[in-house]
Amino acid sequence: MVASAVFGEALALGLGSGPACIAACGPVLVPSMLSAHQGLRPNVRYLSAFLAARLLGYLLFAVVAWELGALASLLPGPRLVMIGVVYVLLACVLLWYAYPARRNRAQPCTGSKLVKIGEKKHRGAAAAAALGFLTGLNLCPPFVVAGVRAAQLGSLVAALLFYAVFFIGTSVWFVPFAGLGCVARNEAVTTVARMAMALIALWYLALGIAMLLGRKGYGY
Amino acid sequence: MATDVRVLRPGNTAPRGVGWSLLLTLPMVVWSLLMFANPRGKADLQLHIAGAITAVFMIALFFMMMRTRNTYRWRRWFFVSLGLLFPVGFIHTVISMRGTMGIPLEEMIAGRTPFCFMPIPLLILPAAFTKALVFPGSILPAGGMSGGGMAAMVGIWLALTIVLGRGWCSYACFFGGIEEGMASVPKRAKIRKIDPRWRLGPWAVLLAMVLLSLALFEPAYCMWLCPFKAVSEYVAARNTVGLVQNGIFVLLFAGLVIALPLLTKKRTQCACFCPFGAFQSIFNKTSVFDVKIDKERCKPCVLCQTACPTMSLTRESVARGETLISCTKCGACVDACPRGAVAFHIKGTEAAAKPELARLMFLYAAWGMAVMFGGSIIAQGVATILHFLFRGTL
Repeated sequence: MVASAVFGEALALGLGSGPACIAACGPVLVPSMLSAHQGLRPNVRYLSAFLAARLLGYLLFAVVAWELGALASLLPGPRLVMIGVVYVLLACVLLWYAYPARRNRAQPCTGSKLVKIGEKKHRGAAAAAALGFLTGLNLCPPFVVAGVRAAQLGSLVAALLFYAVFFIGTSVWFVPFAGLGCVARNEAVTTVARMAMALIALWYLALGIAMLLGRKGYGY
Repeated sequence: MATDVRVLRPGNTAPRGVGWSLLLTLPMVVWSLLMFANPRGKADLQLHIAGAITAVFMIALFFMMMRTRNTYRWRRWFFVSLGLLFPVGFIHTVISMRGTMGIPLEEMIAGRTPFCFMPIPLLILPAAFTKALVFPGSILPAGGMSGGGMAAMVGIWLALTIVLGRGWCSYACFFGGIEEGMASVPKRAKIRKIDPRWRLGPWAVLLAMVLLSLALFEPAYCMWLCPFKAVSEYVAARNTVGLVQNGIFVLLFAGLVIALPLLTKKRTQCACFCPFGAFQSIFNKTSVFDVKIDKERCKPCVLCQTACPTMSLTRESVARGETLISCTKCGACVDACPRGAVAFHIKGTEAAAKPELARLMFLYAAWGMAVMFGGSIIAQGVATILHFLFRGTL
């Protein structure tokens, strides 16, 4: 009875904070989905990879939250560093994804693994997973609330289940994103999406570096 | 050469008679007097003189548009004046009320941030999700430093935009004039070949800024990317990040508004960066006015493409007989075409049916907006200068 109440709470929390999750993940998800994968099915595949990796990020965070007792016990300094690292990594993945695959193929001498992953057919799933995982670690407000609640539970398994149910609640809000596959795709749309991704990546990079240097996010 | 042009252009392209020109200018005389005469106001002498100067200026330009049948040449005088005088009046107001051009956090919390039209597209998604506005200003009049409040600004903008589409960007925007002025300085462009993909820049900035504004719950463009912060109000930098923000504003202004227009003779900020411009382009679909190219009369000489300051014409679009969606209806291509193939057009009518009538209809709407919106800004700038000249102090 208590367990169902707790998981009901997790589901309600997830459903209630879905818009905030969309807002937090939107800058990453929308341009990356628009930049490729025309059609509903490829987009659903991309979204599934993104959400699965996001769940992984959630569960990892649940473990950390439970181990620490409460997220609040994480001091502001280390928390800032953690978010900073996540932002920098997010920026790197976005920049890699924004970089046109065509140009990679035109430089056969640069045969590194990174460039190979960057080829179009592999890039989708890998990038979706990387972006999903990193956004899963993103400390958005509902995520922090869920973390604090998970940390209060009696066992690690309960914390993991709490996060999994919370994830299901938030994921419902992501279903309409699959509709982006129906947006008519041409070179202009792809270019706009890639440019936007690069711009968002630069923003994450700047903010991440600022956090790593121990600066506040704003200059006021 | 001029004679050849007259022969090639359709209809009567000779200057209008003074009488006809005056008659056509009459509505704008009435409108300007309504806007700038202030019989009940207690404004000081400098403000009255500034209003009179502005009224004469706007009426004279419209008269010349009627008389010469040229649009761009005369509109540019207004637009550059608007661009140059806006910072004068605005900075003066900000410094008078706040003592500094920098906007501190406490002013934002108090909702006293002046509102401009730039963040309008950034407000939509957060408002839809949360019913809250991500701008630290007041909705009601007299709440913001600009006096109008957000509701008035959005209302005026929406009404005018539905009619004029992206014409706003050539007849009302108080930012574009600086780069148009810069673009008109060199005789020839040093950089002539611009990658056409840069035209997509505004859409990318718009997409990124709309998404970031939703994620951050703040007008991300105003906080990080607006080049015009350099000449309006900057971040009151209290730490390194604030300095970085101001550095970005200054660099973007120097690059996009000063250097690149000088090198390309284009409005590079408007054409390649401005997210509001991209948003405004969508309203070209609702506007009844557009610019059409008569395919039968057109000999693809690319003069219109060269003249277009926002790169809104391509070979393909000319072949289709239309401009791109980003057209600001500034009239540069219309004036540049020696064969009169490019003309203002009212949707639903035949292309090139009555081009001068379409131009007149458009100009009455656009110039009416210019007088009301831009004119008041010009008057404020002129009044500031007059204050300085008469009193020796700001």
